[in-house]
Amino acid sequence: MMKKLRVTVDGKVYEVTVEILDEGVESGALPVAAHLAPAPVAAPVAPPAPALPATAPAAVAGAIKSPLAGKVMSVEVKPGQEVKEGQQVMTLEAMKMNTYVYAPKAGRVSTVQIKPGDAVEEGAVLMVIA
Amino acid sequence: MPISPKLLSDLEQKRLTAYAAGGEDRLAERRKKGLLTARERLTALFEENTFMEWGLHAQHDCHQFGMEGKSMPGDGVITGVGYVDGRPVAAFSQDFTVGGGALGRIHSKKICDLMDYAQKSGIPLIGINDSGGARIQEGDDSLSGYGQVFFRNVELSGLVPQISVIAGPCAGGAAYSPALSDFLIMTQKNASMFICGPEVIKAATGQSTTMEEVGGAAAHATVSGNVHFLAENDTHALQIARKLLSFLPSNNVVDPPHRLTPVVDMSPDPELNQLVPGDPKAPFDVHDIIGRLVDEGDFLEVHRDFAKNLVVGFGRVQGVVAGFVANNPAQKAGALDIDASDKGARFIRFCNVFNIPIVTLVDVPGFLPGVAQERGGIIRHGAKMLFAYAASTVPKLTLIMRKAYGGAYLAMCSRDMGADIVYAWPSAEIAVMGAEGAVKVLFKREISAARDPKAREQELAAEYREKFASPYEAAAKAMITDIIEPAQTRGVLAMALRNTLSKRETRPPKKHGNIPL
Repeated sequence: MMKKLRVTVDGKVYEVTVEILDEGVESGALPVAAHLAPAPVAAPVAPPAPALPATAPAAVAGAIKSPLAGKVMSVEVKPGQEVKEGQQVMTLEAMKMNTYVYAPKAGRVSTVQIKPGDAVEEGAVLMVIA
Repeated sequence: MPISPKLLSDLEQKRLTAYAAGGEDRLAERRKKGLLTARERLTALFEENTFMEWGLHAQHDCHQFGMEGKSMPGDGVITGVGYVDGRPVAAFSQDFTVGGGALGRIHSKKICDLMDYAQKSGIPLIGINDSGGARIQEGDDSLSGYGQVFFRNVELSGLVPQISVIAGPCAGGAAYSPALSDFLIMTQKNASMFICGPEVIKAATGQSTTMEEVGGAAAHATVSGNVHFLAENDTHALQIARKLLSFLPSNNVVDPPHRLTPVVDMSPDPELNQLVPGDPKAPFDVHDIIGRLVDEGDFLEVHRDFAKNLVVGFGRVQGVVAGFVANNPAQKAGALDIDASDKGARFIRFCNVFNIPIVTLVDVPGFLPGVAQERGGIIRHGAKMLFAYAASTVPKLTLIMRKAYGGAYLAMCSRDMGADIVYAWPSAEIAVMGAEGAVKVLFKREISAARDPKAREQELAAEYREKFASPYEAAAKAMITDIIEPAQTRGVLAMALRNTLSKRETRPPKKHGNIPL
């Protein structure tokens, strides 16, 4: 099953999506976290999913996450651009419908993780507005 | 001989002591925090001077662990009956200033007596929860006290509306009473609700978390779906409770408080024609549509922040109270998923037991695809929608706005799920499958044999869409009632609702169906 984890390595926080293959251990603690413990976090557990780059090391604050799994149709903003709260920043396509993504607050686009044509998962980080 | 003045003054004295609850200091502390006291919350709920209190003079009878001689006015809870909108309503309000509002034997007895009365009298029950939990000093009595309350929550379920306000801590087992009630209203500050809090979780599993994350109002309103309404503060919470009551019958054998207009106004609303996008790929916010269908745009949305791809709530259409269930194409393409199915099914079943007609607005492309959905059990969760609709005997009106594809359309109260009336807009696409998917199956050979398979596929898809992804095929087979313009919707719905108000349906007798859970 797919699990989303927040992992802190050397003080830096990463959000990773992992696929847990061994379902034997079902205790309350997250045994997978223990396996991830020492350094290169993303590498050993990264499944070969094309969507992963969008979910791996991202700043927690200001990240806009994808509301659903879909394809990026268009991106309306660039890094460095100032945006207003509620401004449309991109369009996703899923189930033959356009879903518009809006900036949750005013700010400056610091990074854009996706480009048109990319497939993204639900919860994937699309861009970061600082 | 007149009654002895001393008796009267003693009574007055005892009353004042009880009203002072945990003492003026503690009451003042609550007010300083921006909270209402337990008594003030009831004043905010009820019409002036209508509250008849029960059990003001109740006292605990515990002799262990230092409880002997300890005074707990009202044993930490205020119970009684008052009036909301001219109708009697039973309510209890836990008093955090008295022993932390902890529940002991008499505290529980007061609530249970009130619940028994609410059941026999057929009046709604409102519980204002603000308690540290079980009074440990009373041991088994406290535990049994909760059990007796839960049992009655279930007895009352489906007989009278039960609304819970979470205005303070509601921890561990105590959370189950609200969970068993029909609606939960939670205040954003001071209130918390959880089975195991952060410390217990940390000790048992090593996971670190915060109260905000597992027990706060926002988490419950958006992620866990345990809470139906978010309130800014106590006063707001009780306003919401009053508003909610205004749409509900007092009990299950009376109709909801319809306020039928003398005449049904059939005049068209051209704005509705404007709100539907011409491009089928473009989303719209279904709140805008609902806002134009309900009287004065007054729509009380339930579970507003949870599973936003499905919108549910109460409104009146030219006076007739209705429960709305609507896909929201602006969220997750309006697809149905696990959370939306749970949300919808619960709401439908509530409307069914309380005689509230259901209006279903459809624009659904299907169930949301995904590994998490499949392994999460979308099959048994989605089945809840089908079950809830099919089992309902209240008037069911369905309006197909745009897409109505496959199993998801069935799950949105199709004709076969027992919809009494099914209207469709000309923009409706009623089909077993979307055009692209359908032609891949139907014309597989022709497409692969074509010189340009992709182009041929698109051609065939366009033809299929033209012929089948419209309401006319379904209308030709008398599968839908009529095709109407968006502008006509309000008048048509109002008339249809009025016609079906006297609907009565009998089903084969059985204890109850086995809804997938």
